[in-house]
Amino acid sequence: MDYKYLASKIGIDEEDFMELAELFIATTLSDLDKIKQGVSKNCPQDAAAASHSIKGAAGNMGFDAIFVLAKKMEVEAKAGSLENFDAHIKDLETQVKALTTN
Amino acid sequence: MGAKQPYTVLAVDDHPLNLKLIEKALSKEGYQIFSADNGPDARSIALEKLPDLILLDIEMPGENGFDVIQKLKEDATTNAIPVIFLTGVSEVDAKLKGFELGAVDYITKPFHPLEVLARVRIHLKLSIATNSLIQDQAAKLRQVTKAQVAMLPLPEENPHARFGVYYKALQEAGGDFYDILNISDNITGYFVADSSGHDIETSYMTASVKALLAQNCTPVYSPAESMKMINDVLVEILTQGKYLTACYMHINRTTLKLTIINAGHPPVVCLPVKGEPFLIKSDGDVLGIFPDAAFGATHMAVSRGDRFFIYSDGLVESAEDKITWATGADSLLPVYSSLRDVSYDQAPMEMISQLFGNNCCPEDDIVLLCVEV
Repeated sequence: MDYKYLASKIGIDEEDFMELAELFIATTLSDLDKIKQGVSKNCPQDAAAASHSIKGAAGNMGFDAIFVLAKKMEVEAKAGSLENFDAHIKDLETQVKALTTN
Repeated sequence: MGAKQPYTVLAVDDHPLNLKLIEKALSKEGYQIFSADNGPDARSIALEKLPDLILLDIEMPGENGFDVIQKLKEDATTNAIPVIFLTGVSEVDAKLKGFELGAVDYITKPFHPLEVLARVRIHLKLSIATNSLIQDQAAKLRQVTKAQVAMLPLPEENPHARFGVYYKALQEAGGDFYDILNISDNITGYFVADSSGHDIETSYMTASVKALLAQNCTPVYSPAESMKMINDVLVEILTQGKYLTACYMHINRTTLKLTIINAGHPPVVCLPVKGEPFLIKSDGDVLGIFPDAAFGATHMAVSRGDRFFIYSDGLVESAEDKITWATGADSLLPVYSSLRDVSYDQAPMEMISQLFGNNCCPEDDIVLLCVEV
């Protein structure tokens, strides 16, 4: 992932962007735990709230793929459906992991 | 030379990344950022730091953005701070509700830091311009107050008029004023008025009435004729709803005759050299509304040393205690008795300190004249 490009896209320097990316990864992993708990307790509201949180942060950072996925998860959870969430969670974890290897 | 104080922005969002992003984007442009991740902390910081602007997330657990702005707007300390909402792009109702509650703008999430910066700049500029306008208007009103006070004659400049005065305008462009008219060597007129309103127009009215008094209070006209002519002009020049209550007292120190013309004003108090104080009540229409106004007229013989107190309703009325001058004037009579041994020039100040003490503020403008024959 081209952090330099993403940093310039949102108007901050690369060093600040890296710091924010680390914060994004930490908060997203925390939100992912909340989503997993929501799924295990069959509580779509919790899953929707955590998906909403990831969506906003990803959008602000310019992580478009994560933003699109989190938005899809939020919409589904708000509709009361968690049936695709195992796949979504895996997908999300893969994308977050990709950030850490950059 | 020291650096200028930076503009301060309070960012409120429950997501730490959003807070950090706002902080990074704004602090590098010279803004000082305070952060809060919940509503109660946000309100507490707003009260303590009084930021120049607040960026406020709507969707927060517990106290949400709507609750926060509502409480900020209810508090006089924080209600002028511009608030920009951070809200989801599809939340039209939330945006409208935010504006209804007093937000100046919104930024849709996800937000671009440069957009945040641009909107912060715009609203700080607007806020600076508004504050500057307010300061400018306040300065002009202070000038008006100075001009009004400068128009008021002082006892030391008019020793023959034998009067003392207490004058206090609670606001800029006060509604009360008085004038002393040197009609001849032995005849003096004392005019006290209370005009409706405390605005710029009121201050022009003060100047106009002063000029009318100078033109019409002459030995040629009786006090009643003087007031009638002043009323005729005021009916023509005052805007609708504007009027004055007034009292004009005319003393001839040679013949020892006194005339009081009352235009809807509280009664004059007489403190005779011998005897108890009493009210000189006479009904009359206010000045400036009715072309055929009828004023109360009282004619009486006086003795040297008799004192007369003319005042505005602020002395005897209290909205808080529901006291009107009709009842308040009577209740103060014993206070006048206690002023018998105080010199006439000190009597108004003594009366005010007896009524209001040193720390209590009157509810309205006050003018209090003590005149000795």
